[in-house]
Amino acid sequence: MREVRIAAVGDVHLDESLRGRYRERLDGVEEHADVLLLAGDLTRHGTLEEGRVVADEFRGLPIPVVAVLGNHDHHSDLPAEIAALLSGAGITVLHDDATVLDIDGVRLGVAGGKGFGGGYAGKCASDFGEPEIKAFVGHTKRIADRWRVALKELQADRRVVLSHYSPVKDTLHGEPLEIYPFLGSYLLAEVVDAEGADLIVHGHAHAGTEKGVTPGGIRVRNVALPVLGRAYGVYCL
Amino acid sequence: MEAPQYVAARVQRALAEDERTNELGIRVDVRGEQLFLRGQVSGDERRALIADVAGEAAPGLTVRNEITVMEVRGPGREERL
Repeated sequence: MREVRIAAVGDVHLDESLRGRYRERLDGVEEHADVLLLAGDLTRHGTLEEGRVVADEFRGLPIPVVAVLGNHDHHSDLPAEIAALLSGAGITVLHDDATVLDIDGVRLGVAGGKGFGGGYAGKCASDFGEPEIKAFVGHTKRIADRWRVALKELQADRRVVLSHYSPVKDTLHGEPLEIYPFLGSYLLAEVVDAEGADLIVHGHAHAGTEKGVTPGGIRVRNVALPVLGRAYGVYCL
Repeated sequence: MEAPQYVAARVQRALAEDERTNELGIRVDVRGEQLFLRGQVSGDERRALIADVAGEAAPGLTVRNEITVMEVRGPGREERL
């Protein structure tokens, strides 16, 4: 079975002032990769104007594009509208579900969504106490549950999880320890370890590092643009 | 005199919450009469805007804008997993 080449980047934070600037970096992307994954924070403020810039920058590429939204894309309370703009440009947007792409006969399954925070095993928030804390932790728990279902049902030759928030601490090195609970949650890694995947990509942690691994041994890559310092990373499975 | 930690925290919040910036990734340090901004952004215009918002949130301090503009290279080498 042939190798599948996955290009990935997150946190591009596009707005009108950057129109056209990302697109020029994607020239020839099809020579480097079979699919492009966008790991959230595609806009700065989550406005429709910015959503249109994102849609235009990634529209009509010669390879399929799969995206999740990030916290910035939620800031104006218009995530569904932004997702619709992206879908209208031919981009598949995951909301705690999965898609299967046919790459020259190889079925590449991509599952995931925004993810959320809470912290990492032994140093995390619990579903206990005030309703505000329960709501915070409950949001991540519900997301993890949906990922479990999506992965369980995913029939593919290669499996990639696409997230905005980080499932592990490994890729956060360089970020202040105090904000780890806002950068991701171990609950996201736990379900992926249980259901299996070949790679997890995420963004969100601009000051983190690229490479990590889950407790179960699944490779994790932080593809936030400031971490990569290049237009996108390419990972071959 | 207001404690420098509170001034830095106010500036950091302003950068995150001000509609002009919504910037979460800039480090803010107050030393004496100076306000230091450090981090990476995507362009010169944004770099200047962040300094404006920070200056408004901390009037009287001299803003030292040490933010750099990120250079994005080509895709680079692929990694085989």
